[in-house]
This record gives sequence, structure tokens and C-alpha cells, in this order.
Amino acid sequence: MKRLRPASSRWTGWLLVARPGALRSAQQQPVSLTLRRQQSTSTATAPASYNTQLDGTDHDRFPPLEPLPPSATSLPSPLPERALRSAKLAALHARLSLPKKLPLQTLARTLVDASADENPKFNNANLAFVGQTLINYHIAEWIMVRYPRLPMAIIWAAMLAYTGPAPLHQVARSWGIESAAVPGGEVDPGLLQYSLEKPGTAIRGFGYKREELDFIDKYKFRQSINSGVIFDDDYGNLIRENAQRQRQEEQDAMDANYDESIEPDHMSYGNEATRSLAENAHANFTRAVVGAIYAHCGRDAVKAFIKSHIMSRTLDFSKLFEFKNPTRELNMLCEREDFDPPIARMLSETGRLSRTPVYVVGIFSGNDKLGEAVGPSLDMARLKAAMNSLKSWYLYSPGGNARLPSDMLAPEARPWQPAYIDIGEVVAR
Amino acid sequence: MTVLAIKTLVSTGRNGVGAFILQCKKMDFHYCDWAGSSKGMNGFIKSALPEFAAAHPQIEITVSPRPSKHPVIIGHYINGNQKSICVRNLEPLQILKKVELLRDASGQKLKKVRKPVQSINDSVRGVWSPYHGEGMKV
Repeated sequence: MKRLRPASSRWTGWLLVARPGALRSAQQQPVSLTLRRQQSTSTATAPASYNTQLDGTDHDRFPPLEPLPPSATSLPSPLPERALRSAKLAALHARLSLPKKLPLQTLARTLVDASADENPKFNNANLAFVGQTLINYHIAEWIMVRYPRLPMAIIWAAMLAYTGPAPLHQVARSWGIESAAVPGGEVDPGLLQYSLEKPGTAIRGFGYKREELDFIDKYKFRQSINSGVIFDDDYGNLIRENAQRQRQEEQDAMDANYDESIEPDHMSYGNEATRSLAENAHANFTRAVVGAIYAHCGRDAVKAFIKSHIMSRTLDFSKLFEFKNPTRELNMLCEREDFDPPIARMLSETGRLSRTPVYVVGIFSGNDKLGEAVGPSLDMARLKAAMNSLKSWYLYSPGGNARLPSDMLAPEARPWQPAYIDIGEVVAR
Repeated sequence: MTVLAIKTLVSTGRNGVGAFILQCKKMDFHYCDWAGSSKGMNGFIKSALPEFAAAHPQIEITVSPRPSKHPVIIGHYINGNQKSICVRNLEPLQILKKVELLRDASGQKLKKVRKPVQSINDSVRGVWSPYHGEGMKV
């Protein structure tokens, strides 16, 4: 399957090309107090930006904590060597227990969104793409092996619940990420930098643009699940022609609808579009951290990181389901699996003539009870019992310790035994 | 007729299952060079703070003077809250206790815990039902 395509090494080559000179120059400059003092005294000869500030501060007595080079304010993102002096960045590195091999400069780069700095050598777009691929691969194989009978639509929904922008935004928040009000060269490199003014480059995942895309919208073409697996992205959404252009159009539409009469106070709290931009920026940061770990520390480290930060989240899979005609679907399932046809039987009841009757209905196939449910009417109880039976079929799990295909990448791995994967859907769309 | 999916659900994070993130992300130490109530704080900053900072690299630490005011420690937490403790006239060891208190706090507002166990998981045994089993003889 295309979604299980592992990350190949050619991406890391492109990643590590980025800014070799920046890293070298940072290593040549030792970080010490003497350096700082030299810079603060040298400002007498070169009028630096902070000396020209009119705040009346006595800069000889209270030197600035971090003298900025004069060019800093004209840059779109902070200089890489400033990463070594950021307390926030060092604290973040320690908080995530990142390996020592991952330098602070790269961690600083993961915090620069494409909307803050368009240069792909200085923003996190490439790292985020690799991270997205790795996260989606590991979560997809884990979901499939853990719940081998899930229908494709449920797998897509579960993928969205684990690897979509909303959960990854929550992951970034749970790491204590703060964001800069406005991106720029002078902000602390430990702050997330993204712009609410212009949308950045959207990361494109795997998937292909459908030839019939224009007609899908126009004539409401039916799309099969199989074609969705091949063409669509990891969440079963259509690949649009140009996601960036679409976002730009949305932005233009938003600007056109901008109402001057709305109080600026209400605008400052943000709206749907700004919240979505912030969510994407946070999610891309999480992906970029994963990509950075892969680029510097390799496969095993990134797998452990995804397992401890993303896979450890919890989701009730039984709440993802929504059924139409569950009784008919259960009937077809029993037919397909050569079970006896399902029969609903009332197990218990109370208050049939009262205002609040309660019926307990079980669904039996031969002597086996497939499921049961409680309902206020016989029909409702039977429907709920059919849904419970279907859920207990779909949510079969071989246990949490089933081996994953990526476990085979470890050296001296035991020979692979094929994992059990069901065809999923009982009723194909 | 097929199974449909509800695409609005989001997985829930569980700190400590997998990775543990210390909830205190930043601590501010404010002192005064002159005032007597800061005597213990000044001693703490000189003697114990470097050691504490080295032992807790995940906490960003700032030290700044606040002339003519009592010494204060402010802890900033991942959920956005902050807690401040005034440490006037305290000894360095007492201040260390307060710092550890701030480090271990979750940042949540203090609440009285009335139920001994809180869980987001369903009960393993399920909820008791009057419609199952033998029933009760009246």
C-alpha cells in the first residue's frame, strides 16, 4: 500500500544539505561571557539597534542580555547561532529528553514555520514533511495490526484522531510551546514563529490528483474506497489541485468579508481562520521535531519518540462508528462468515405499560450470543444490539503486543510471521 | 448501508504514559540586594540555585533584581497558569523546599480530591444492571 511506503534515505540527504555553513560558523564561535562582553563594548563603535532605543536605559550599567547583530531585525527568522544562547530552547530540548546528537540549531529550525520564513533552507517545511511521513507510517501500521478488522473509513478517522492537525497541535501544546506574536529575526529562537498574515506552504502528503476531480464536485461522482486508498491522502480526503492556492483563496475571501465595523477587540482574539493557521503551525512543529530526530538520530530513536509521544495517546475506537442499517449489515456478516443467521431475542423487560419501559435484547447466532443492548423500545434495543455485535466483530484485536512490520528493521529480528489483516468492510460501498 | 466514520474525535494525551513532561516550564527568581528580607534568597541564589538549575535542565530559570521589594519565586506552567510564592525572611533551605514545591506542582488550581480514584477509562466490571442475573426476590 502506498501509505506503508517507508521513508527513504533520499529525503534526509536533502535535509542535511540545509545550512551546513550555518552550523559551522556556530561551532567556530565559542559561547562564553567574554564574547558577550566584547559584543556589548563593540557597540560603541558600531551603533547597534539597542543603543538607539529611546527608553532611557543606562546600557553601560545594565547591558542587554543578548546583544543582537544590527542585521537581526531585517531577517525573517533568528540567526542559527543564537540558538545556542536561548534558555527556552535548551529547556525544550531537555524537556523532550531529546538525544544529544540533535543540535539546538536544528531544534530552533523546527520552530520556524513556512509562513514566517519562506526560505526552505531556514524553515521547517522539509523536516515536517519527513516527520509527517514517519508519524503516519508508524500509526497506520500500528492501527492496522492492532485492529485488523476495521473498515477503511474507520482507519481514516482513527488516523485523523492520532496524526491530524488537531492531535499534533495538542501534543505541541503539551510540550509547553509558546509562540512569538510576530515572527522576525529578533525574536527568541525558542518561540514558535508563524505568521497569521500570509498562509505558508502547505505540506503535501502522499496521494494523487484525480483526473475526474472537477466532475466530482460538479456531478457528485461516487468515489470507491479502493480508489480512495490509491489516490487520496492518508485521511481519505481528495487531493486538491493546489492546496496553497486554495488557502490563498480562502484568505482572500476572508479579507473581502472583513467588516470594519467589528470591534478590533473581537478580532484580536482570533477567528476560525487564525485558529486553523495556529493549529497547523503547531502541528507542523511537532512533525518537524520528529523529522529532525530521524535526520540526526535515525530510525530507532524516531520510532521510540513516536511511540512515547503520539502512540501513547488514547482513543476509544468504538466511538468512531456510525451505522446505517446495522441489522442488515450483521445479517450479511453472518452469511459471509457462515454463521447461523442472527436472531434477536428479548432477554428481559420491565415496565412495558409504563412511561419508561426498558427492554434488554440479545442477538444470537445459533447458540452464540453476538451482542446485547438495552433500549426504551424493542426496535431500538434490537438496533443497538446489532450495532454492539458489529462493533465486537470490527474491534477484534490480537492484543497490544502484536509485532509490527517495522519491528523487522531491527537487527537480529525474529523471522516475520504474517499479521492477520481482514478485508474490513462487510458491505462494500 | 456501509459503516460511516465520525471524523471529529481526537485522541487524548496522557502525560506519564509513554513520555513524562514536567509541568513546570519556567521559574523566575526575584531578589533585592539591599533589603533584609532577601538575605536568605541571596544566599539561595549563590549557593543552591546553580545546583538546582543543573539538576533540572527542563526548567527555564531567570534571576532578576526587584529593588525594594520582598523576594518572590514565580513558577510558570505548561497549562498557562503561574504560581508565585513570597519567600521573605526564609532561610536558603526553606526556600529550596518552596522551589521544590513549585517544581512538583501541576499548575492546576488546588482542588479538594473527594474521590480516591479518577480515571478516563471505563470500569472493567461494568455498571451494575437490575435486568441481568438472577434478580432480587421480593
